[in-house]
Amino acid sequence: MDYQIWLIVGIAGGAISIAVAVYLYFWVLRQDPGSEKAQQVAGWIRSGANTYLKRLYTALASLALVLGIIIALIFSFNFETIGTTGVQIQPGMGVVMAACFIIGALSSAVAGYMGMRVAVEANVRTATAAQKSLQQAFRLSFYAGAVLGLAMVGLAVIGMSLIFMLTKDSHAVLGFSFGASTLALLAKAGGGIYTKTADIAADLVGKVELGIPEDDPRNPAVVADNVGDNVGDVAGMGADIFDSYVASAVAVMILGASFASAMQYKYTVIPLILCTIGTFASLLGIEFVKVKEGGKPGAALNRGTIITCIIYVAALLILSFTKIIDAGIFWSATIGIVTGVIIGFTTDFFTNDQYKPVQETARVSTSGSAITIITGYSYGLISIVPSILGVVVATLLSYNVAVSNGLPGIYGIGVAAVGMLSISGMIVSADAYGPIVDNARGIAEMAGMGQDVIERADVLDSAGNTAKAITKGFSISAAALTVLALFAAYSEVVKANGIDLNISLREPMVIAGVFLGAMTPPLFSALLMLSVTHNAFDMIEEIRRQFHEKPGILAGTEDPDYDRCVGLAAHGALSSLLLPAFLAVGLPLVIGFLLGPNALGGFLGGAIFTGVIFALLMANAGGLWDNAKKFVETGKFGGPGSEAHKAAVVGDTVGDPFKDTAGPSLNTLITVMSLVASLFAPIIAVFHLF
Amino acid sequence: METHFYLSLLPEALIVSMLSPEEFGTYYAVGSSKKSRGQAMFFEVDPNYRNPYFHMDEALKRCVPHEDGRPKASIYVSVYRVLEHIDPDALLDLYLTTQDGRTLGLKASDEFPENGSGLHLYQEVVPVTPLVVSRLDAVSFFDLIVKNPTSLISVPAITFAELQLGELSSDPEMGMLNNLPYSNPDHLRQCLSDVKTKYVSTKMVDRTHSPVIPYRTIKNGFFVGNRDKLRYYPMPHADVLRIENYRWFRSANM
Repeated sequence: MDYQIWLIVGIAGGAISIAVAVYLYFWVLRQDPGSEKAQQVAGWIRSGANTYLKRLYTALASLALVLGIIIALIFSFNFETIGTTGVQIQPGMGVVMAACFIIGALSSAVAGYMGMRVAVEANVRTATAAQKSLQQAFRLSFYAGAVLGLAMVGLAVIGMSLIFMLTKDSHAVLGFSFGASTLALLAKAGGGIYTKTADIAADLVGKVELGIPEDDPRNPAVVADNVGDNVGDVAGMGADIFDSYVASAVAVMILGASFASAMQYKYTVIPLILCTIGTFASLLGIEFVKVKEGGKPGAALNRGTIITCIIYVAALLILSFTKIIDAGIFWSATIGIVTGVIIGFTTDFFTNDQYKPVQETARVSTSGSAITIITGYSYGLISIVPSILGVVVATLLSYNVAVSNGLPGIYGIGVAAVGMLSISGMIVSADAYGPIVDNARGIAEMAGMGQDVIERADVLDSAGNTAKAITKGFSISAAALTVLALFAAYSEVVKANGIDLNISLREPMVIAGVFLGAMTPPLFSALLMLSVTHNAFDMIEEIRRQFHEKPGILAGTEDPDYDRCVGLAAHGALSSLLLPAFLAVGLPLVIGFLLGPNALGGFLGGAIFTGVIFALLMANAGGLWDNAKKFVETGKFGGPGSEAHKAAVVGDTVGDPFKDTAGPSLNTLITVMSLVASLFAPIIAVFHLF
Repeated sequence: METHFYLSLLPEALIVSMLSPEEFGTYYAVGSSKKSRGQAMFFEVDPNYRNPYFHMDEALKRCVPHEDGRPKASIYVSVYRVLEHIDPDALLDLYLTTQDGRTLGLKASDEFPENGSGLHLYQEVVPVTPLVVSRLDAVSFFDLIVKNPTSLISVPAITFAELQLGELSSDPEMGMLNNLPYSNPDHLRQCLSDVKTKYVSTKMVDRTHSPVIPYRTIKNGFFVGNRDKLRYYPMPHADVLRIENYRWFRSANM
């Protein structure tokens, strides 16, 4: 069979996905934007989000340009022939790699930007729709989330298929992936710092010091807080999943490219086939996400995910029967998607207030914040277990299934990662719905809409939190499998350059690399969280200053200066990214060029293991503390204002940068480091000090 | 501009002001540039009420707008033994202001709450501020500490609120505290158990308890009176507040 047709199918599928996203975008715009007051509030949020994204993308464009030039220069020389014919100049390759890198970064930015654009339009319309019914508000917010989900997978599939069709070189797609991941890392980390800076500052001064309720328009940081939901949870998360999605496919493409030449093309294209099928499955699955008046939005979201999985597996089964894909591919992808869903739902066990971990953490809060922290942290550590077991089972099963069907085991692991992420269209749609309804609730509050609207928004918001928790478990586990495949891809690239990796713990260089790698995710997390506390401190001072200099703000006779807080959050987030960016991109190169490919292999191994552990711990512990606080607020253990509530608030504040800043950035960190290693492996194989 | 007399309960004071009750509540709770802040509770006093104990007319003369035309926010008439010198009939509406300045007005009722079974928890607000548990219902409790000539502990006038006890009202030992935010719950249980099983009808839980009440814990409402008269200001049900005074309800439930 001519597998090139699948590239065209992929491009067509991506185009359909984008077309549906554009259609939904304009459908959202046609909905009632609500009262003048609601539009004014939404305008503040839109303006703040645009200001931040403009600054972020201006900074990232400069960075992408500089990195693009460096990539163009480096890949214009073929160092592989240095020992025989000397260094060959190949300017075409340099230009192609740089172009792919920039297209990848651009696609990632466009995906995040589209999501953010629709989110800031959908939030006010969702609040307005909630005045009429829960059903309408849910439909609107979910379709708005689907704009991001479908645009993201569409751009990714088109980008990968088109680049491979034109270049026939999986390494060029690696450049595309590196561009997407670099931008994603900075968008996610920057968005995470922004959103938690605003959130923590708004809460500590507004709620704790002055007793102002959440989303009260008198709080000068309230707009920055709502902007943060968009730039962190929509734009940042969109770029983040885009990066994992592409990276998983690229890792398998590189592994496929190492097959014997007769099989090479087929096995390089197969991950693109899986992504295309996932795109169509998501398009169909989205139609099943509906809720009746009085129904449960969370159940509707879960139903959509399950149905999408079933459609996906059924489609793969047909492809398997028609011999388009092997049985080994079918089983590996199925193992991946089933494991992903199971991991997602087990994550929910640790963050849902219907189960023991959240209830127990809330209960012990009656004894003070120290016990809250210890209990939540401990459950966070336990929560690693099911996800890691899931990854272990998926790894071993997919490896053995692939081997028993005549494929390299590591290829099967990569296919499992692609399987997990191939329904990202649906997963991201459900996830992006969360910040939209969160914003809608804020607008309803700030615009003075009725309590029935706010209560409907609360119901929608609660489902969004659950979807968010499931997505995090899903994406971190997928990243774990992805980086395992990327690690194998790195080995293949190094091997292709004449070096057999020896990742033995008896080698001092490897041990050094493992330790340095293991150190990096905690260090990266610390830098991000310190940025949050540093910036939140500045913003707290600004909020206090405004209340001090303008006493009419609290009395309701003067308006706060929202722009000052928005500007502070944006400046703080962007100025905090330099060192984390160096850790992600620069450190693997330093290790590789100084200590050599084996040490770099050890470095990746160390980083992968602590990265996955820390990502799971932080995401789950943060979610658990958040929901323990909400559980107390429902009237348990003394309810709001009690000692238990005060302790739970401390836990929630500690967990905020865990779950929304450091945790979700770590999977991108390890992906970026693995991509850097694979991309520069041919050069590191030639130039290394030790 | 119209002037108002307010009997503040936190702290006890008689104040004349050119602000309406809602404006005064916001001013009193969130402060001005002087930064005095916190929950406020106050009665509006009949503007025609006079008592030689207070120099009310003199205070009225001083209560004039600022030079820039802003209304005068407060002139303190008296800060000592105020409640006992005001006739309960002169008290108009009671206003409860949240920490962030939202004000709810309560009207007096001619009907007192039904004498339900179980134990009671009272927060005295003025002139003293202990937290007390009792077997007595609110009216009997009032009679005990204001009207009973044989009681060693009595006050000439009082304002207090009955607070919720939930399941502890009938089962102090094993009842669930649920959403009641009281500190030191074990001591509260012990005190309730004592009044349930021992001879004493009332027992002090906390002798210096802060009179700042989480409004959501108020069971029936506020009681104010002296030896001649007791008045009752019922608190609307939470569901009513949620629908009719959502902003206040939300702030009060922090």
